[in-house]
Amino acid sequence: MKPLEKILSKIFRVRESSLSDDSSQDTIASWDSMTHLLLVSELENQFGLKFTTGEVTNFKTVLDIKKALESHGIDLNK
Amino acid sequence: MNKLKNKINVKNAKTISDYISLSAQIEKDFGENRSATPKSIRIGFLSSFTTKGIQEVLHVQCFGLGAQIHFFESAYKQYAQEILNKRSNLYKFNPNLIILFIDIASLLSNLACSLHQQSELARKKWVNEQINELDAFVSALKSNSDAQIILHNFETPSHSALGILENKQPFGIIESIEHLNAKLRHRFKLDSRVFLFDYNSFLSNIGKQHARDEKMYYLGDIKLNWNHMPALGNAYLSYIKPMLSLNRKCLVVDLDNTLWGGIVGEDPMEDLKLGPTPEGRPFLELQQYLLSLYHRGIILAINSRNNPSDALKVLRTHPHMVLKEKHFSSIQLNWNDKASNLRSIAKELNIGLDSIAMLDDDPFMRDLVRSTLPDVLIIDLPPDPARYLSSIMKLNDFNTLQLTNEDKVKGEIYAAERKRKVVKLKALDLTTYLKALQTKVTIEKASKRNFPRIAQLTQKTNQFNMTTRRYQESDIKRFSDSPNYLVCSVKAKDKFGDYGIIGAAIVEKKKELWQIDTFLMSCRALGRHIEQALLYYLIQSAKARKVPYLRGEFVPTSKNELAKHFYRDNGFLPKKNEDTVQYFHFDLSNKYKKTEHMKVTLPKA
Repeated sequence: MKPLEKILSKIFRVRESSLSDDSSQDTIASWDSMTHLLLVSELENQFGLKFTTGEVTNFKTVLDIKKALESHGIDLNK
Repeated sequence: MNKLKNKINVKNAKTISDYISLSAQIEKDFGENRSATPKSIRIGFLSSFTTKGIQEVLHVQCFGLGAQIHFFESAYKQYAQEILNKRSNLYKFNPNLIILFIDIASLLSNLACSLHQQSELARKKWVNEQINELDAFVSALKSNSDAQIILHNFETPSHSALGILENKQPFGIIESIEHLNAKLRHRFKLDSRVFLFDYNSFLSNIGKQHARDEKMYYLGDIKLNWNHMPALGNAYLSYIKPMLSLNRKCLVVDLDNTLWGGIVGEDPMEDLKLGPTPEGRPFLELQQYLLSLYHRGIILAINSRNNPSDALKVLRTHPHMVLKEKHFSSIQLNWNDKASNLRSIAKELNIGLDSIAMLDDDPFMRDLVRSTLPDVLIIDLPPDPARYLSSIMKLNDFNTLQLTNEDKVKGEIYAAERKRKVVKLKALDLTTYLKALQTKVTIEKASKRNFPRIAQLTQKTNQFNMTTRRYQESDIKRFSDSPNYLVCSVKAKDKFGDYGIIGAAIVEKKKELWQIDTFLMSCRALGRHIEQALLYYLIQSAKARKVPYLRGEFVPTSKNELAKHFYRDNGFLPKKNEDTVQYFHFDLSNKYKKTEHMKVTLPKA
């Protein structure tokens, strides 16, 4: 299983070190509606789960994504 | 460049995001080297919904094949404007290939749920309107571009609001779409520029219930699940490969545990697994499929480490062998290494290693050949023979854009060539040999009948090809229709069989001289002076028009060394030499000797 930061870095083409829990659509220039969906698709593939439409529309920050993953039983600290 | 290329492993790409990152990486590393790749294609992509990712998928897949793509994608839902406006960006982009992908939901739009409620007559009218509109789109694409066109057909719904009564409806909705697909198939069957892509069957193969990710559909109007985008790209490669001459002409097979189960030198023949048993049927059915490839023009050959007598005994006498000795154009049964055998096969058949695919059960052997002969396509077989056939059926490397009569009998032609070579060994001097062949050559002006074959020859001929200019059927037609060009083809037969059309020439008739734009001969017909007969015809035609000079060009490539001295050896004088092209002049006041050992029929003046 790949850590979240690696996936974010790949989708948004930013350095892993530049990411924090507060990173959001406002701080990452390449986070637009299309990369948002690509991110969802990649997370679903890599973690083997399915988000609901409601969850996906509520991803505003990296922290939101972490919380959603945790609610699906993913332990990101592993 | 190769070092860099190794860094990028196309096979590592799995998800759509992998493809997007890899595509960016390739662009970064190779962007400036675009022109260094000789094979490239310009794709215009038109779709009725969001197809983000298809460009990157095709970019990566083509890169893996050593080809470049240039891509134009219509703006969201702008396909009709791009098609109908003669000055649109699509046409300015000048594509070689246009893909028109309209999905069924866009076609139905708000009718999706109400078409049921309408009358049978209204549904028939709707189907006819759709066909007429698609027909108009395709006509506009054809008249405003030179591109080949891939048109998607439509997904037949697997669900109806009427449930089990759907099929009781007069001209029901499912029937309507099946009818639309059937009409489209019929409409473009004979159109050599338009290929109807069976998207419905593509989706069935994926499983229609998995083809869409509903969430992505509602959030982003994405109608094909991203996870299936690489498969769609691969389906398009079926057309792109033959367009770029990246298809394979010859399939080289191993014997033990490939064409039959067991090892011929160790197991008695009756113990080999081949025939109507659970363990024998995978091999039997594989052979039946290979025979059907042979009948569509794929050349078969054997490369196996065996004692020739053991293996030939099975080939000749096993009651369940579907493939016979006569189906193989080259048979390498020895203990040499497989790579040098492949080189011998390529040489014997006069084809490039990049035309060969290899089928072998031994993973070690496959890796070995892959590393020594990277041009050969190595087919990765699964360990279980039960899955051999399905993995071969998945390959899209044996496609051609047209099936000519020559393709259908190609296997026979090559097998006859094996017999000819035997005669060659017996006959002592070349003239006696050539005379004994009783070759009859017919030169014809291009006509509708032979346009496809002439175009195919320009696409496929690499070795004896003076200029290696690749033309589509539409180009050949244009030359042929023009008073400024002479286009002719040559066919030949001899006592062993009919070669069909094996050479062609295109000459531009300028006032002061005639210039040979294209002059080529399929390799299997070389070495018997048929090319001289063709040249003789060009010279005679130019003389008849009182032109002072005939000019030949030689454009060197990595493969046409063979043709380098042809003009010089035939009375042409070398003129200026440029890096990329050498010119030769034939003074038409000189005589050109007619070849004597064959009967040549020229077209009527």
